[in-house]
Amino acid sequence: MNKFLLALCVIFIVVLYSFNSGESEWRKVSNSDAENVTLENVRLALGAEKSSFYMESFDPEKAKIGLELILKGKTKRGLFKSKAISSYFVCTDCHNIGREFKNSSDQNPSRRLDFAEENNLPFLPASTFWGIYNRTSFYNDDYIKKYGDIIKDAKQSLPGSIQVCAKYCSSGRYLKSWELEAIMHYFKANELKSKDLSLTNNQKDAISRIQLLDENEKADLLASINSAFTHGYSAHFAETMPRDDRKYGAGGDVVTGKFIYDKACLHCHLDGRVTFLKLDSDKLSAQMFLKYKSTYDDLSVYQIIRQGTYAMPGRNQYMPRFTKDKMSDQQIEDLMAYLTQLAEK
Amino acid sequence: MKKLVFVALLIIAGFNCFGQDVTQTFNSTRIINSHSTEILRKKMWEYRIEHRFGDIAGANGGGQTAFGFDQAADIRMAMEYGITDKLMAGLGRCKGIGRPYRSLCDLFLAGRFLTQNKEKRVPVSAALVQTLYYTYMKQVEDLQSVAYFDNKLSRRVAYSTQLVLTRKFSDRLSLALMPTYIHRNYVSLSDLNDLFSVGFAVNLKVRKSMGIILEYFANVESENFRSDALNSLGVGFEFVTNGHNFHINLTNARGFGELQYVALTQENWLKGQFRLGFSISRNFKIKKS
Repeated sequence: MNKFLLALCVIFIVVLYSFNSGESEWRKVSNSDAENVTLENVRLALGAEKSSFYMESFDPEKAKIGLELILKGKTKRGLFKSKAISSYFVCTDCHNIGREFKNSSDQNPSRRLDFAEENNLPFLPASTFWGIYNRTSFYNDDYIKKYGDIIKDAKQSLPGSIQVCAKYCSSGRYLKSWELEAIMHYFKANELKSKDLSLTNNQKDAISRIQLLDENEKADLLASINSAFTHGYSAHFAETMPRDDRKYGAGGDVVTGKFIYDKACLHCHLDGRVTFLKLDSDKLSAQMFLKYKSTYDDLSVYQIIRQGTYAMPGRNQYMPRFTKDKMSDQQIEDLMAYLTQLAEK
Repeated sequence: MKKLVFVALLIIAGFNCFGQDVTQTFNSTRIINSHSTEILRKKMWEYRIEHRFGDIAGANGGGQTAFGFDQAADIRMAMEYGITDKLMAGLGRCKGIGRPYRSLCDLFLAGRFLTQNKEKRVPVSAALVQTLYYTYMKQVEDLQSVAYFDNKLSRRVAYSTQLVLTRKFSDRLSLALMPTYIHRNYVSLSDLNDLFSVGFAVNLKVRKSMGIILEYFANVESENFRSDALNSLGVGFEFVTNGHNFHINLTNARGFGELQYVALTQENWLKGQFRLGFSISRNFKIKKS
């Protein structure tokens, strides 16, 4: 059995390594092939304005460092490891780095869950990094209620948002300029391409002959492209569900609930990976949640999912809240349905 | 090459996901007195304060000593640290039970080398704990005493090696077996330098945040020596909160560390010589920025 695993491991290494051919692979992406042309280049050609953090190109080496910072919070600089951005979190504790929706302009939480289930992705409280370079607005809507003026300069600026996230959201520190630059290069390297958007054949055709379009056609195409991707994710804080409205899982989908528990709750809480609250797929964890289900206590899933917790001295690993746009009330009921079943196991 | 290693590590990490390791066999790094197979997470610090009061009943207990609260049989304060997810170290200082040691320091290294996993057919978790004891107490003048060190450092040192085997049978029930070997460099004529003991523990979790623990150490020794020595038996109630772990227990052992609770326990439950003890631990990470 071990030999079989070893052989499988070697085959995987070879296959994956063959995909990762380094610099040349990054460059290919910027070919002016209509499918692979970057969204930003298309929009600029159609007369859109450059964003405040516009980057002409990216350096694949820096992008690689950026990815390492995102996954691990630190990288090797010369002989030494750089200081971790945060002692408590890495970016991927709250953010996915890949696609989260089938349709690139979608924001619906139940379709996000469907896509996550299809692709076995974590179901996280923060927006994905996929296409973040193409967004123009960050910390939207209700985040001002939580962070106040801290996000004043971050709302329109990707680098500003990264800094706020590093310092406040991850209970860490401001990034050094090289770290910020590396992460920006990673985001630039993974900007949206025209193939990532759900475009019609007519639109694709128009992109392939973009130089030949007249001004009106360009304006129309720009408008249609602008509506085909997410410029900023909505973030509406929800109040804790009132006690009388709670169904305690009645009619909830247990399979969906299990997925949410495994991919949202246990993503951080499994054996206390990120936090002190240790959870497991065991009866006792479920019974603990059920005991508090009708309360407004932190151990009530209705409360904690909507309110989260705050960082405080001695306990900087807080739980971010799930906004209405990231988890729906029905999904909370699905989770409750699963917990009820688990408790009776 | 580095890339290759990185990818290989990712894949190996991926394989691990196939079989989920059993976690939280015990809630804390200690059972009552003994170590468990739980290891602090990497870079996690834990500050422990542990206390054993005086005898609840018997000649030294009762209302006169407020059922032992007036006395402190032993106090241990320790700082412990997770080097990796499977290896931790700790440095502690005990008051010492004074028979013979006071001012007893301990330095230990605990490593879990097996983790229970159904898919991989690993039936138990196993950890090895190696502890070094050193007392810096002022030596006594009585030449007959074990605490007469004759200015030799080696006489102040003792060691213990403990293998902890645990198995989580269900969400609620965990058992542990702890074969323990203790070596003291310097002992009295009626005592033995080498001592072997087998510990046994049960943890019954009533709720997620509360459990009952029973721990017993049976010493394997000849009847001709150590006639005063008794086995240690403890019953504990465990309360787990976010970042804290509380133990309240009743045990006949006076001291902390295998050196004291296994080798130097002479109290008898039946004579009322058991005491209330508690341990509080607080986990934290030191912020680097």
